[in-house]
Amino acid sequence: MAASRLTRRRRRAGILLSLPAVALVIAFLGVPIGQAIYYSMTSWNGLTSTWIGPSTYSTALSDPIFWRVLENNALLLLCIPFALGIPLGIAALLNEHVRGWRFFRSVYFLPTAVSWVVIGMVALQFFAADGTLNKLLADLGLGSTATDMLAGSHSALAALAITFVWSMLGTNTIIFLTGMATLDPTLIEAARVDGLARRQIFVRVTLPLLTRFIQFAFVITVISAFSALFSLIFVMTGGGPGLGTTTLEFFVYQTGFAQGQFGTGALYGIILFVIMIFVGLVQLRLIKPADEEGS
Amino acid sequence: MAAAPVDPARPARPAPTGPPLPSARSRQRLTTGPVFLLMVVVALVMLYPFYYLLNNAFRNQTQYDQQHGHSVAGWTQLFQNLPVGSELLNSTIVCAAAIVIILVVSTSSGFAFAKLRYRGSGTVFLLVVAALMVPLQSIIIPEYVNMAKFNLVSSYTGAVLVYAALGTPFATFLMATYYRGISDELIEAAVMDGLSYERTFLQIALPLSLPAIATITVLQFIQIWDDLLVGLLFLPTNDRTITVGLAALSSGRTTSIPVLMAGSLISAVPAIGVYLIFQRHLVKGLTLGMGK
Amino acid sequence: MRRWKLAAAAAATALLAAGCGSRSSGSGGTAASPVTITIWHNYGTEQNATALNNLAKAFEKLHPNITVTVVSQPASNYFAQLQAAAIPKNGPDLAVMWTGLFTLQYKSFLKNLKGQVPASDLARIDPNALKWTSDSFNASNGPYVIPLENQFYIGFYNKSDFAKAGVTSVPTDWNQLYAACTKLKKAGYTPMVYGNGGQPLGATFYPWYDMSYMMIGAYSVSQWQGLYSGQIPWTSPAVAAQLGNWTKLHSSGCTNKDVVTNTNNLGQFESGKAAMMVDGTWDTQKFTSALGSKVAAFVPPFSTSPIKGVVDYAGDGLSEMSYSKHPAQDAEFLSYMTTPAAARIINAAGLIPAITGTTTSNPVNQQMLNFVASDHLTVFPMLDNVVQANIVSAGQKFLPSVLNGTQSVQAALQNLAETHNQLPSTQRGNTFP
Repeated sequence: MAASRLTRRRRRAGILLSLPAVALVIAFLGVPIGQAIYYSMTSWNGLTSTWIGPSTYSTALSDPIFWRVLENNALLLLCIPFALGIPLGIAALLNEHVRGWRFFRSVYFLPTAVSWVVIGMVALQFFAADGTLNKLLADLGLGSTATDMLAGSHSALAALAITFVWSMLGTNTIIFLTGMATLDPTLIEAARVDGLARRQIFVRVTLPLLTRFIQFAFVITVISAFSALFSLIFVMTGGGPGLGTTTLEFFVYQTGFAQGQFGTGALYGIILFVIMIFVGLVQLRLIKPADEEGS
Repeated sequence: MAAAPVDPARPARPAPTGPPLPSARSRQRLTTGPVFLLMVVVALVMLYPFYYLLNNAFRNQTQYDQQHGHSVAGWTQLFQNLPVGSELLNSTIVCAAAIVIILVVSTSSGFAFAKLRYRGSGTVFLLVVAALMVPLQSIIIPEYVNMAKFNLVSSYTGAVLVYAALGTPFATFLMATYYRGISDELIEAAVMDGLSYERTFLQIALPLSLPAIATITVLQFIQIWDDLLVGLLFLPTNDRTITVGLAALSSGRTTSIPVLMAGSLISAVPAIGVYLIFQRHLVKGLTLGMGK
Repeated sequence: MRRWKLAAAAAATALLAAGCGSRSSGSGGTAASPVTITIWHNYGTEQNATALNNLAKAFEKLHPNITVTVVSQPASNYFAQLQAAAIPKNGPDLAVMWTGLFTLQYKSFLKNLKGQVPASDLARIDPNALKWTSDSFNASNGPYVIPLENQFYIGFYNKSDFAKAGVTSVPTDWNQLYAACTKLKKAGYTPMVYGNGGQPLGATFYPWYDMSYMMIGAYSVSQWQGLYSGQIPWTSPAVAAQLGNWTKLHSSGCTNKDVVTNTNNLGQFESGKAAMMVDGTWDTQKFTSALGSKVAAFVPPFSTSPIKGVVDYAGDGLSEMSYSKHPAQDAEFLSYMTTPAAARIINAAGLIPAITGTTTSNPVNQQMLNFVASDHLTVFPMLDNVVQANIVSAGQKFLPSVLNGTQSVQAALQNLAETHNQLPSTQRGNTFP
């Protein structure tokens, strides 16, 4: 029948078109992860690898430092609502198309083009005891609340989170703006004609239509928080003070690269990978777009 | 070529008739002022690092220590210590090559996963996207050893392939998200007209996805341009990118911050350039998608 | 610029040669055929880099058939890079290596230089330096590293600040230090400044300079082995007492308030606002350029009785990769590093050569040498080069907060002790590996 022939053609095209991506990912990401799993059960300094076995995992998981590091990751998640909410607001602002909005749109994305090294150094200056934040507070008459955020473990993590949220503003704003641009304006018009207030329109009409994009930004943001902050942490705090800003990603780097224990680094890397997959699955379940045909 | 395809799922609806609501217009005027002010405030917050960058890129070491005064000493030092031009060129080559691969691979597979279901494609898609979570630091050493075995670390090849592989999951995810927004009827209509699925992808879907392509290009360009670890391990010294070069400026104990800032300023320019270029296409693509 | 093109051409040739060499049966080259050797360093652009580049150029003049390509690698990941390159044998011929336990950690891909470099050349090096780069820290086992320079962890002070505040003699123990601080504070100076200037990006101040001197105040050189093996646990009362005195520096206002986040300590010392700083020989030239004759060296007096030792140690140098294809030429370069001509080049870059019988032209560096030669202070190594890497990282993480007062001495030392307990037994034996 024509239908099944079509189905076969569709299937064949699907396999053909998705093959290059799958091949690339398997060859250059899948294989090394498999190797990393192997090495995670060894003591590997690059030249000699001594097999230890799965007990490496139980040793690692019973290390209190590991749990302290995980706690940092969990705390970092607390800033995700801000990392999504603020760009939503900014995108909504830009979407008003007030005069000059195109210029501002260009400007908001610019920080993304700056390397983490620069952002980290700026953050260092900003949060320093004699830095910009305290000067601002003093100018606003709040001099007594002067802080030295990078000196304490938890406050340093907060400073890191603030810098991270700031750095995601550009990317997420663009994502949401792209999403808002694909919205059918007649739907918004219809709602307005129906008498809904601005805020109601935003919450009841715009947001649900943006679910795909919010889901996307959500996933990207959490992935960034867990696996793209390395350079920023490196420059801003070096993981400190104490273990204050050592996220699991940084810990992977430290054990693997700084201490030259490639096997242990691989181990924590595998753990990070598993955690991120789990978190990713949770995220995809949390925000299901209306037009999801089930994947 | 035919005119921009009309998406049958979104037929043109007549605009609401009747006089324009005056309250809407004045509401618009009322909110313009504060909105504008807010946008300016956000802009200042965003641009702050550039102020820092520009300020400190034009200082020498003493001026930096004392945060006072300006000079171009850092720039002479920068060009003395680094082959800036050739490193910028290397960065460009590596970025361009990797992005081309990423785009080719992700548009085709994004379309396949979004529209061309086959048995198990959902799982395969999840696996590809799951690869997004693979932490670079864990795989980079085995990756390096593999590449060295196949002699791919004596020129750009190894690095380009690794960058392409690293960027594919994200790009595929984005393209699939975007393609899901295209109605199935559009595809089926083209197929009914006699186009193969592959051609449908090339002639119908691909042109519609320019905004997403632009987004991927910009984001991946920045990511690859600013990457350190892959460039460090996989590129031979005279094929070094500017980011690795800048990192080599700092020793274990001292870093000349002004020189580093000067280098970072140069390094930021192409990324900004790419964004500004593709930004126009972003807009064009957006209006095309919305145009009736 | 021309030198760069030369280096690039040489590197390209080296790559081609390496490509061909891996297929043909061993190269090696005769004395006449041109050979290129590659040296990696993590010196950035500072004095050590200048010294190394000049050494390479001078060596090339003496050996026209040998080209030396010096490659600057980022300092952050340097050792991981070396390790990674050793797997496919893709690395340089010679590379900068830190001495002490660092050397022993990576010796699996380093060549033992006994027999490689003639004993007569090795004899020219400060014997104190060579032993720290050999197995079990015994020089007769053969060194793995030819040191580039002798370094000091040392204190710098501003003579004019001292004079204006009425500090007439350099403090030699804790109490004298506190007294000096009081006077300096009264005169409006920051007595001792701490900060992360002069550290890698993102780090806090490096606590191991101070820690070395605190352990000098508590133990003898041979006792330091006990810190390594665990016979003297990190939680010992003597260690805790020293750290207690150290935190008093911050709580009594002897240091700036923001020790953990200050980014401008170097500037503050160079401008005279701060009177004292604990640092090292890599900044001597910087300070003498900024302060001229106002700056002098002193031994950080972290001891209850007059401090009796100084950290004088060859912290880094060059080693040969075990897989290098040009061992003959490598040996020639390493030998060259021990010559008086090399010593002159190293000194000209502001460093103290590790070759016996040479002098240094920077007066403040000479002061430091005099601490050993004239004042007969005991020579100690850098503590962070002779305790395990995990301990060094743990110390880096936790000790700065101790000075800051945000972490208790007990808790920090407990952390060090726990890190020590988790080490495999091979890494905390009664003898050095």
